Amino acid sequence: MRAILFGILFFTFNSIIAQEFRTDISYKYIFANKWDKAIQTYNFSRPFLEEKQPLLMHGLNASVSYIFKSSSSLKHGINISYTYFKSTAENENLNNILNLHFLNLGYIIHYENNEKTKGLYTDLIISVVSSGLFRNVNDEPFEYDGTRSKAFGIGGDMSIKAGYYLNLKNKINLSPFVLVGYTPYIYSPNSEAVINQTKGLVSNNWTGIFTTQIGLTFHIRQQQKD
Amino acid sequence: MDRRHFIKQSTLLSIGGLLIPSTLLSACRKETLFEDINYDGKVIIIGAGAAGLYAAYILKSKGIDFQILEASANYGGRLGKLTGFANFPIDTGAQWLHGKNSILGDLITRSKTKITLDDSETKYWFNNQLVSSLPQNTDIFEGDDLPDISYNDYALQKGLGNEYKYIVENIAGDQGAAATRLSVFGNNQDEENWNSGDDDFKFQETYFDLIDTQFASQVKNKILFNTIVTKIDYSQSTIQITDSNNNTYNADKAIITVPIPILKSGDIQFIPTLLNEKTTAFSKIGMDAGMKVFLKFSNKFFDQNIIGGPICAAYADDSIGKAQNDNVLLAFIMGVQAEYLTSLGSDTAITTALLQELDTMYNGQATASFVASHVQNWTINPFIKGAYSYSTVGMGDARKVATKPINKKLYFAGEAMNTNGHHQTVHGAVETGYRAVINILNDIKK
Repeated sequence: MRAILFGILFFTFNSIIAQEFRTDISYKYIFANKWDKAIQTYNFSRPFLEEKQPLLMHGLNASVSYIFKSSSSLKHGINISYTYFKSTAENENLNNILNLHFLNLGYIIHYENNEKTKGLYTDLIISVVSSGLFRNVNDEPFEYDGTRSKAFGIGGDMSIKAGYYLNLKNKINLSPFVLVGYTPYIYSPNSEAVINQTKGLVSNNWTGIFTTQIGLTFHIRQQQKD
Repeated sequence: MDRRHFIKQSTLLSIGGLLIPSTLLSACRKETLFEDINYDGKVIIIGAGAAGLYAAYILKSKGIDFQILEASANYGGRLGKLTGFANFPIDTGAQWLHGKNSILGDLITRSKTKITLDDSETKYWFNNQLVSSLPQNTDIFEGDDLPDISYNDYALQKGLGNEYKYIVENIAGDQGAAATRLSVFGNNQDEENWNSGDDDFKFQETYFDLIDTQFASQVKNKILFNTIVTKIDYSQSTIQITDSNNNTYNADKAIITVPIPILKSGDIQFIPTLLNEKTTAFSKIGMDAGMKVFLKFSNKFFDQNIIGGPICAAYADDSIGKAQNDNVLLAFIMGVQAEYLTSLGSDTAITTALLQELDTMYNGQATASFVASHVQNWTINPFIKGAYSYSTVGMGDARKVATKPINKKLYFAGEAMNTNGHHQTVHGAVETGYRAVINILNDIKK
């Protein structure tokens, strides 16, 4: 019953104010120099690890967006996005896992011009980013002093996404897309303590992140473009 | 260009434009520091304590030639193991693991080393009686805007009168310091940087065993024992190190891990002489007298912890966390109390003074059940000269200055050189050991 009610509300909302509802799934690649350095230091300082801790670079992203109704080729929308990264090193009695989560809340400027570039669209996404980094050892959350080892962070991100609409059926589209982004500053003061168990030895409390993504978006659009 | 071609080319360009840089970037991103570095120079490490041994362990893992010069006949520095005194092994030096969130925590997990949380109960010797709690809160040395004055002065300011003198002495003694010398501000800053955890753990075996089995065993064949370094000449491209027998050793880089009193007292001559800034920094880092006395009794008349004695401000049941339970009481003596007991001149006199104090606390039961004692006085060890470093009043950034490498040749490590709040600890010393190697390799890369 709840699902039906949610569905009705969703489609009503979508038809009243949304030009387009999207959900996408993608592969995400990140390059965060200071987190790299912390993991590299962890590996360097622990010769007893036969399997080194992989860098945090490959992740899975899922996001949901609304593009609001507008007659202009430039439209606005909102976006919420979640990404998960995992780094696992299995060593004798020391199976170390780093779990990194990102949650982005973004504002989208969407551009498409069917007369000039049929089916192509570009988004500029400006987001607030929050991150959570956690350590698991031997399949248990790593705790000390009765508290889980964790590092939360916050920052801002700017991304550009380009995709191409493929029409599946009326109102429903699929689009492959690529995205590049940059988070110039994410403040995460405990990251080094989670990764390398040190503070101030490897780096300061912030890092910049370069991101790229490739994936597929599923669209429900009010005005079919073709 | 028709639509189909446009789509195809755009897609290919986008994917290529994204994946090629990402793939290239991934290939450039190494899993560890200095993965491809080759260095055929020689590194000499002065001191075979935790920092020196760990630096050696890292150098070995990178295939770099090294030699360790150790002044004493043993390795481990301020870690030691005594067997045969009780039915469990005794830590004569560092004993507690201060928090699990450290590189040593990883080693303990990996090696399945048995450790136990030390949550033993405390009694206080207060107004000539043993009590379970104190009338006033003594937890006053942490917080914001603390002044750069001594623990002693601050305690008096906060209304902890003379009856709290030895309680405060114990709090400072935990930091290896006399209450009149430890800085409230400096130590609070150290505490703010502390991130390994506040729980203290005891080893079922000893701390020395962990170090010995996990990394010292891999490098101890490279230690030259009884090699007392007296001179380090770094004026030429090759460093020449001279020992007390006038033997010389050449190296391209040297990691100096000797305790801070050795650097302060000028036991090692540097050529050219160190800058005034450096020697001043050394002199500002505190390190007081320290000793551990193990008292064995025929019965357990004592509490798990006894805090606040005028002769010894901290006693602890040494059998806690051990597999066996002989009645061994540790007298953990720091600062002015260690200076006083050292001045008595003999182990017998030290033992007698402690037994008298315990007799006062426990109605003569100490002397009546006394079996044996072992005195480990780190103060009179000529290659140690004290307990561990602490932050003095007016110390400022002395640790950072003291730690700075010199001319890309001399690198400093050891617990006193930990600038991240973990001085005084074995894991802090280990951090400085690998940090020194990172500094060396960074300099080589440049």
